[in-house]
Amino acid sequence: MKRKIILTITLALLIIIFSVGIGSVFVPPDDIIMIIFNKLFGGNLPDNFNQNNISIIWELRLPRVLLAFFTGAALSSCGAVTQSVLKNPLASPFTLGVSSGASLGAAIVLASGISISILRNFTLPAVGLIFGVIAVFLAVKLASKLDKNLQSATIILTGMVFSLFISGFVTIIAGLSKEKYEIIMRWQTGTFSAKGWDYVKILFPVLIIGIFIFIYFSRELDILTFGEEQASAMGVETKRIKWLLLIVTAVLTGVSVSFAGIIGFIDLIAPHVARKLFSSKHNVVIPISALIGGMLMTVADLLSRTLTSPKELPVSAVTALIGAPFFVFIFFKRRKSR
Amino acid sequence: MINVANLSCGYDDKDIINDISFSCDNGECLAVLGPNGSGKTTLFRALSGLIDYKGSIRIDDTELKSIKNQKDISTKIALMTQLSESYFSFSVYDTIAMGRYSKSGSFFSLSDKDKEIIEYYIEKLNLSEIREKSITELSGGQLQRVFLARAFIQEPQIILLDEPTNHLDIRYQLELIEHIKEWVKKENRCVIGVFHDINLSMAFSDKTILIDNGKITFSGNSRELIISETINKTYGINIREYMQKNLSLWNN
Repeated sequence: MKRKIILTITLALLIIIFSVGIGSVFVPPDDIIMIIFNKLFGGNLPDNFNQNNISIIWELRLPRVLLAFFTGAALSSCGAVTQSVLKNPLASPFTLGVSSGASLGAAIVLASGISISILRNFTLPAVGLIFGVIAVFLAVKLASKLDKNLQSATIILTGMVFSLFISGFVTIIAGLSKEKYEIIMRWQTGTFSAKGWDYVKILFPVLIIGIFIFIYFSRELDILTFGEEQASAMGVETKRIKWLLLIVTAVLTGVSVSFAGIIGFIDLIAPHVARKLFSSKHNVVIPISALIGGMLMTVADLLSRTLTSPKELPVSAVTALIGAPFFVFIFFKRRKSR
Repeated sequence: MINVANLSCGYDDKDIINDISFSCDNGECLAVLGPNGSGKTTLFRALSGLIDYKGSIRIDDTELKSIKNQKDISTKIALMTQLSESYFSFSVYDTIAMGRYSKSGSFFSLSDKDKEIIEYYIEKLNLSEIREKSITELSGGQLQRVFLARAFIQEPQIILLDEPTNHLDIRYQLELIEHIKEWVKKENRCVIGVFHDINLSMAFSDKTILIDNGKITFSGNSRELIISETINKTYGINIREYMQKNLSLWNN
């Protein structure tokens, strides 16, 4: 197990370094490491060092790659939690309505052009985040009104109905403001382009806090996979813990979606891979899902910006094209092994 | 022991169980029988502390309602439900170890006592050879033994069994019942089980209550039940005649 974990961490670091190096200008890994060390700890670079590479790596590629990695990590750890809390291997944070809520917030900001002075460039992500969290809160609140025990099936159903309901408003807003239609649609398909260190600095601490909370409740998550009744009978305060974990999931997914747009599939796939390669225990599944999700998102972003360079593909299209067959493969293999 | 007095419970202010009373002493197995929709599952949900109730449920002189913490309830009562498939591939050992949840603090780590109890029941229920196997790879009989071990290591006063032998073949049904009866006698605790199969219920229980429309229509010795007329009325068929007809098929 330890060897596999070390291997996964090493692979993640290699993927980050190579993704930072690959682009219109190739920068070798040792140069990247030198730039990172120079920026973090000071010290001198060799005299003949290409100065352009410093700004390419430090200002453009590294924040983009890290944002992609952290977004993948956030969505995947949330995916693992949602699947266990809802006892459904096909559930994802998007099942709860986060993405639809965030899309509505983003559509309102993009169509109206409003900007909150304190938030400046972060008006759109902040409004998206608030709408995303409110959507989940309302969906779970509605579920708890319909079903006092807050059973998984009720949450999934209300989340999906809520998502579709909100998506109706997004379509209306996009349809009414024809000149902003394209921008709204482009935002929805997801991109890490032109996102600087500011985004990374916000997402990273939120991700760390979120993962810490998930790991803290990993025992409860293990037990919840056996269903609400069984979990309660084993001493888990199911309703309270479900509420807490779903709200943390909503915040973490909301921040990610608001920064990068709606990028599906990775949140669904990474936890399955983590369980298959490691274990179903959540103190392992959550950090490993985060690492695998981070790697997959980084590779998806790399492909989206290099396959049709200089034009960029929407990241969600790449994740769907890789994710769908991969998902079928995993399920097919599982059925065959039975 | 558990003492239930004038219990009524249900959903959305509508009582499914109406004013029932019964008790189960330590060292006893009590079977709950009744047709579909009679209220057996609702009764179990109330006994597990999952739904609110009127009346009294006392476990060794403690009123269930007065225990506010779910962890504390689980030290009194364990629940084992009918066989259901799990997608999540925990090992047999890890699945059993989850039964120690209510006895542990934050950031779960097993104490020496925990490990000792887990090892004891792994051995007792013949799970040693499959202890590292994933529960997704087990047969129905093996899986129910794992869940039974998990209920045992909770060290509860009472175990509630909700149709635990469903989907198991006859050998595993009897094997499971033997393990339960042995535990009841050895630990001097009590078990209440819901069964659909009357023969199996007879093999399991010392006492039986028969429920129909949320009320107890029979309460007493299990042997007395099958010779009473009440069971025929409750199920709407002549059960004795049906059983004897079936038994005659086994005669040469």
